[in-house]
Amino acid sequence: MSSDNEQQLPTEAELAEMDRDQLVTLGGKLDGVELVEYPDPWPVGGTRAEKRAERTVALWFTIAGVAGLAFLVAMIWWPWEYEPFQNSDGHFWYSLYTPVLGVTLGVSVLAFAIGTLVYTKKFIPHEVAVQQRNDNLGAGSDEVHRQTFAAHVADAGSRSTIARRSAIKRSAGLGIGMLGLGATILPLVGFIRNPHAESGTKDGLYHSGWQAEEPGQKVFVRRYTGKPHEIVLVRPEDLEAGSMETVFPFKESERGDSHALSAALKRVDNPVMLIRLRPDDAAKVVKRKGQENFNYGDFYAYTKICSHVGCPTSLFEQRTNRILCPCHQSQFDALHYAKPIFGPATRALAQLPITVDPETGYLIAKSDFIEPVGPGFWERKS
Amino acid sequence: MSLALMVVGGLYALFAPEPQTAQAQDEPALVREGAKVYNNTCISCHGANLDGVEGRGPSLIGIGEAAVYFQTSTGRMPMVRQEAQAARKPAKLSPAEIDAVGAFVQSHGGGLESPKESGEALRGDNEARGGELFRLNCASCHNFTGKGGALSSGKYAPPLAQSSEKQIYAAMLSGPQNMPKFSDRQLSPEEKKDIVTYIKSVNDGNNNPGGLALGGWGPASEGLIGWVVGIGAIVGMTLWIGSRAGHE
Repeated sequence: MSSDNEQQLPTEAELAEMDRDQLVTLGGKLDGVELVEYPDPWPVGGTRAEKRAERTVALWFTIAGVAGLAFLVAMIWWPWEYEPFQNSDGHFWYSLYTPVLGVTLGVSVLAFAIGTLVYTKKFIPHEVAVQQRNDNLGAGSDEVHRQTFAAHVADAGSRSTIARRSAIKRSAGLGIGMLGLGATILPLVGFIRNPHAESGTKDGLYHSGWQAEEPGQKVFVRRYTGKPHEIVLVRPEDLEAGSMETVFPFKESERGDSHALSAALKRVDNPVMLIRLRPDDAAKVVKRKGQENFNYGDFYAYTKICSHVGCPTSLFEQRTNRILCPCHQSQFDALHYAKPIFGPATRALAQLPITVDPETGYLIAKSDFIEPVGPGFWERKS
Repeated sequence: MSLALMVVGGLYALFAPEPQTAQAQDEPALVREGAKVYNNTCISCHGANLDGVEGRGPSLIGIGEAAVYFQTSTGRMPMVRQEAQAARKPAKLSPAEIDAVGAFVQSHGGGLESPKESGEALRGDNEARGGELFRLNCASCHNFTGKGGALSSGKYAPPLAQSSEKQIYAAMLSGPQNMPKFSDRQLSPEEKKDIVTYIKSVNDGNNNPGGLALGGWGPASEGLIGWVVGIGAIVGMTLWIGSRAGHE
């Protein structure tokens, strides 16, 4: 580093005569490094301790290999498919699948790491090196170095002639600028879409799957039985007083169309809580203006989608008649048109007008919700 | 002669109309027994005529035997004191007393009866469908593996691991405390049994690979343990790597 070392550079003849140790020492010296301690961990070769250390390292690597092989075998042949717990033997082996994968792979990685570390600790010499500080005690570089470096940079810039080639400058600016813009927009691009266009109807967020496809079409109240293609409609007598059921819309046009039947259960604004109040509670109900005839007797239907940020609000307390949202603890009063009584929600849950179809005796929706369900959006005024 | 008599008697016993007196004698004995238990343990809150006491306990007329079975067999009734929610505790009444009180309450206005079977007989064979129905109807309050959760004002949905098959079934039928009722027309008996199977398949150490469920609440407790144990292991390994090797 310093000019002293440069003066001590060996001649070509001297260099040819130096052995490896001398070359190592010279290399250190040129960098201002001096090895004050450089012990051979095993000065006497072939001792028992050295052999034991060697065996220890080999043992760790062998463990790593065996565990890795076990991982490979378990990955391919272990019974991974779910076994019902009644079949206790099969369930036991199945339940060990992930632990076995984790333990074998973990042991393999860990044993390899330990082997490497033990080797480093036992066999690599632990030298103590001293290096001269060369930071000018924070004063920075000499004036001569600063000026020559600045001149070097300026020279490179001017010789590249970029300053007077404006076509290249502009096109490069365009390329880099657009690339940067693309990188910026990458996390935001998910927000650029029209939520109205993705809804099944032309009116987008303003309507749910409870809207009839054509005037006069009946929209029935459907129960989910765990079989997505089964059509089970709901009658008033199906529900006890003090019960709640999550229901979905069904239109005759969906019959036989397994895709549509399944989609009706999955569309986000479709789930409705059909609540049958206990008679003494039903006497206390306060109805919202304009929704006086939305209930059918003791049956009230509210959307399951919270008006705050759209979580499913299906925690219904049948004694207190409160509807709870588990995400942010909003509470709605089922006896009071599901208006919010606690928590961050500010709007009542949308109520679905229901009645009984006189021809079939099943519950039907008289119309779609009269307001959008779920959280607010830009165009929404209320 | 005696053989003929026996045959005639046997035939008569077979074909004679159901002797109503026999049942009527049998039932009131159980009901009378139940009235005794009721007067000793339930009357102060639920009233002499089962019509409830204002501010203490609701009317029991028409609630049915299923509700009585659930509340007493899980120890929730008799209640120790008035509070947000009756908690599960060891049953105070013996099974015979529970049967008797159940018959007594059933004789006042009828109501839903708990299933005749119990234990394994109440498990369905389709736990996948049970799981689907559990997630739709039960999981919002009871958590996806039945670990329970908070409700409003200090109330909570209890964990389901301790509940027997019959207790789970009776709870679905009778809707205890703030739980909605699920009639047999809403969830058929087969569907209820599938739900019971699902609950059993994810509790009592089932579906618990690794052996330590960490509460079964999912990522929060698992993340905490992973972080504490993982960071501890990394710190330990770092110290070991940095330490100077000693010679044996």
